[in-house]
Amino acid sequence: MTLEALPFDVPVKVLGYAALSVFDKDRLSGLGLRPGVSVVKILKTPLQDPVECLVGSQLLAIEARLLPHIRVEAL
Amino acid sequence: MKRIVALAGRPNTGKTTLFNALTGLRHRAANFAGCTVEKATGTMRASGGEVEVVDLPGTFSMVPQTEDEQVSFRFLSECAESSDDLLVLCVAEASNLDNDLVLPAGLKAAGYPVALAVNMIDEARLNGIKLDAAELSGRLGMPVALVSARTGEGVDRLDGLLTPPPLRADLSDALDFRRATKKRLHELQDEALEKARTAAAASVTWPHRSVLPVTARAIRIDRVLLHPVAGPVILTATMFAVFQALFVGAAPIMDLLSTMLGSFSDLLRARLPEGALASLICDGAIPGFSAVAVFVPQIAILFTMIGFLEQSGYLPRAGAMVDRALRPFGLDGRVFIPFLSGFACAIPGVMAARTIHSEKRRIVTILLTPLMTCSARIPVYTLLITAFVPETFRPLGLNGQGVVMAGMYVFGIVMALLLALAMKFTSLHELHPAPATVLPPYRIPSAREMSRYVWARCWHFLARAGQVIFILSLVLWALAAFPRDAAVMAPLEAELAAVRAASPADPALEKSVKGRIAAATIEGSVLGRAGRLIEPVFAPLGWDWRVSIASLSALAAREVFVGTLGTIYALGGESDASDGLVAALRAARNADGTLRYGLPTAVSLLIFFAIALQCMSTIVTVRRETGSWKIPALQFSFLFGLAYLLSFAGYRLALAFLV
Repeated sequence: MTLEALPFDVPVKVLGYAALSVFDKDRLSGLGLRPGVSVVKILKTPLQDPVECLVGSQLLAIEARLLPHIRVEAL
Repeated sequence: MKRIVALAGRPNTGKTTLFNALTGLRHRAANFAGCTVEKATGTMRASGGEVEVVDLPGTFSMVPQTEDEQVSFRFLSECAESSDDLLVLCVAEASNLDNDLVLPAGLKAAGYPVALAVNMIDEARLNGIKLDAAELSGRLGMPVALVSARTGEGVDRLDGLLTPPPLRADLSDALDFRRATKKRLHELQDEALEKARTAAAASVTWPHRSVLPVTARAIRIDRVLLHPVAGPVILTATMFAVFQALFVGAAPIMDLLSTMLGSFSDLLRARLPEGALASLICDGAIPGFSAVAVFVPQIAILFTMIGFLEQSGYLPRAGAMVDRALRPFGLDGRVFIPFLSGFACAIPGVMAARTIHSEKRRIVTILLTPLMTCSARIPVYTLLITAFVPETFRPLGLNGQGVVMAGMYVFGIVMALLLALAMKFTSLHELHPAPATVLPPYRIPSAREMSRYVWARCWHFLARAGQVIFILSLVLWALAAFPRDAAVMAPLEAELAAVRAASPADPALEKSVKGRIAAATIEGSVLGRAGRLIEPVFAPLGWDWRVSIASLSALAAREVFVGTLGTIYALGGESDASDGLVAALRAARNADGTLRYGLPTAVSLLIFFAIALQCMSTIVTVRRETGSWKIPALQFSFLFGLAYLLSFAGYRLALAFLV
């Protein structure tokens, strides 16, 4: 399952990234979105992009284009 | 040998707040060598003597990606190479240690002397998080202090971390980040991740809740502030409030300052003997000081608002809301506040671009912000629209003059977006914009921190841009006042003396003669001669030498255009003479009896003033913000060239279709 397909308010665990550029991968990892971390999709901002997610203990606004590339699994 | 403490950490960890708490107001801003990234440095007294504190740009990981991150790592490597005494004080957010311990662990592994300040300890307590500082210190192998930079809690304990002499360990084995391979940096990052994870697991006790209370509160607030309908309404209302505060709040103070300085100037003029000295003081120095001082209320109000929005946590959310709409133009939500501020004045707008961490995006924002219709353009637009847009022009039953004024605002925005689009094909385009933004918890801004923030911004403007603006004002005064042609001036001065000696006194006649003297002075001055000299350059735009002089003098500030035209048309030089000037411009005729100006000239001038960077104060501020004359020179020449071309096109089209 990817973060895009995940319903809102369901906590899951990040498994890894699929077909992401090295830059995006490194930046997401630097922000704390890395394998093993819990993530919850919270809401879409008014223009539907970016999407607010709770990653670990912090809130991130993540570009919608990245969500299909973030693999997650149920906790 | 200097003793340097480099503050490093992720953005939003309270690094700058801690920097302010350590250095008080003893700090100054400069740029890191070779780039526009700002370096804030200050000094603090520690028991071992004076220490220089450097606030490094935010760093997300051990693998620097943006220019800002590279600057931080480059600075550390340069320090390691020098003989300076160095300590890296990493700042971590107490409620986000899993993430924030990676940098201190990585820098330690890279051979740097590191201490750790775990910040926002008060917020961690609210979250029910318990921290064992001794355990954390033991696991990471570095001294650790628990602090709250906002409240000042534990900041005095940092003194113990910073003072043991010598600070400097042997840095001969420290990794040189300038030469390190990506592979080595990734290895360091992976090692640091593991170390951070085990250190956090051993020293942090988390509450038995799935979501921390502060985060849960932020989510509840976000469901309202980022709601599909309520979100944009609240954002619009907030930005309306910012804009109103800039105009409504700053305008009376600016008017009061202008009036006070004007009265002071009049008072001095009445007491000083007429001549060059009186003119220097009353027409050069005082207006020059005024040109600096009047911007301070706007800057103070804008940065109070920005500081409040930033510290409360709303600013990154406002950026996230408009991010999608700006992305096709190669921009993002971070440019929103500078652009909005630019509607009041380009100077605070350019300065507001400091909230943008990426260097390229900051430069693009600085380049485009002056295209927003600032308040200085309003007198120029009002004069031209009132004089040349017919009152009978009523598109869709609306007031045509109002429609044109609104159109000028739209024109500025459209030009900025089109140029942003064009910049996507230049080296200024940020190839890898941040794919995600941290949305910090909502916090109540601290009055102490806010006042420091606002003071720092105002002082920065006064100390750095103000001096140059003042000097350039004096230069422009000299260009407009000299040389004085005695043959032309003598009869006028004799006429003035005769009018003054006449009984009863005729103030209207005296004012009229003074107006003619002012007109003769500017006509004979270097500026006046330059206006005549460049007349052929601007003739294709429909301008005569009078408009050319007024446009040249508007380099001091756009609104000076109105005052200069007033002077040339012998109206006394006051900018409030615009009513008389409207009539004078409408009635002005060439030697052959044809009208001197018409709608095509107005179209050309409106386009020119909408695009050209006719503002010395903005140019100086851009120079100060970017650390060199290269960017403002490029900006001035490009916008001037574009303004010229589009004004020419506008003039020709207006001649073809509107006359």
